[in-house]
Amino acid sequence: MTEKVRDVISRNVWKENQVLRMILGICSSLAVTNLMVNSLVMGLGLTFVTALSSLTISLLRNAIPHRVRMIVQTLIIAAYVILVDIFLKANMTDISKALGPYVGLIITNCIIMGRAEAYAQKNPPLLSMLDGFFAGIGYTIVLLIIALFREFLGFGTIFGFNVNFIGFETWTIMVMPPAAFFLIGILIWITSNMFAKGKASKAK
Amino acid sequence: MKKGRIYTIVFMLIISAVFTFLLAGANSLFLPKIQENARLADMRAVLYVFNLSQDGSADEVLQRFEQNIRQTTISGIDLYEYSSADGQPEAYAIPFTGRGLWGSISGYLGVLAKLDQMIGLVFTDQSETPGLGGRIDELAFREQFRNIAITANTTLTYGQTDGSQIDAITGATLTSNSVMRIINQVLDTTVSKLGVTGND
Repeated sequence: MTEKVRDVISRNVWKENQVLRMILGICSSLAVTNLMVNSLVMGLGLTFVTALSSLTISLLRNAIPHRVRMIVQTLIIAAYVILVDIFLKANMTDISKALGPYVGLIITNCIIMGRAEAYAQKNPPLLSMLDGFFAGIGYTIVLLIIALFREFLGFGTIFGFNVNFIGFETWTIMVMPPAAFFLIGILIWITSNMFAKGKASKAK
Repeated sequence: MKKGRIYTIVFMLIISAVFTFLLAGANSLFLPKIQENARLADMRAVLYVFNLSQDGSADEVLQRFEQNIRQTTISGIDLYEYSSADGQPEAYAIPFTGRGLWGSISGYLGVLAKLDQMIGLVFTDQSETPGLGGRIDELAFREQFRNIAITANTTLTYGQTDGSQIDAITGATLTSNSVMRIINQVLDTTVSKLGVTGND
């Protein structure tokens, strides 16, 4: 019945990657991925919130009245997001400014609600926390991959360090949200192909 | 598991109370630090407008700030005044807030006390598109507004004007135009108000 920890990891990071396989959390993937630092902080913020909200919801799963469970989930998620926001404002002023409204918007990130509904609601606390944590890590990895291309091509930098050694002209389009659409589309295409191939070879 | 109505209400009340309490606690714990950060950012912004070094620790910034800069009110405008060693006002940093693309843009605009030169521009608060309009925060954009000669009826525009070249941000036309409109408003209303007392 209960899943092995290794399965939780491989499922969340790869097989059911929230962005690439479940197509969740797309809005923030489009919005914050033009700089790697922003993506990293956003990803870690989301990982923290998903892990802790999954843990809390799982702990309370037998006490939460079924009819109001969504409201309770939103309440718990919102509380953790506000904690992250306060923490960033106090300790990482620059990044908090750069991320602006997107930190608050973690509340509406479908990944967290998805993990709460699909997993934490019916699984034991520790597993739920790991599930939330690795769902967040999977999201962070995808964000960083997108940001790597966007920051490199758009600004000629990686994590703010100039790596534009040959001095190519940076692509303004990469800085703008449409570029994230293209990149996410390409990534989804690649991963879907890989999964389709895997299935085909198994069928043989 | 079926649960009654009373249970649901009591459960909601308790869980709301617990989380509200938690957040209130975290907020009051971090509030002093957040306010201090905001004050420090403000001081750095004013130092930048006056073209003074804004680097260093919080204490160094505070010391540099208090040495020459004081808050004052001139013809009804609250502003920061930079005075030389003998107490003569040399320049002003005028706070402004205006309409940007997504939200308001606030900051400081610096002018010489003689009101014939704009010496700097800085933004303290803006919610423009990150990576596009948000780039008004970058030095390359802000530094363009240093040492621009102004007269009573100057209207700044992008491109070449009177020997100074100001470039807009590619892909962020609306934000760029908003910034220019705000600057011209400040120059037009506030600065000319300052000028009235200057002539007394």
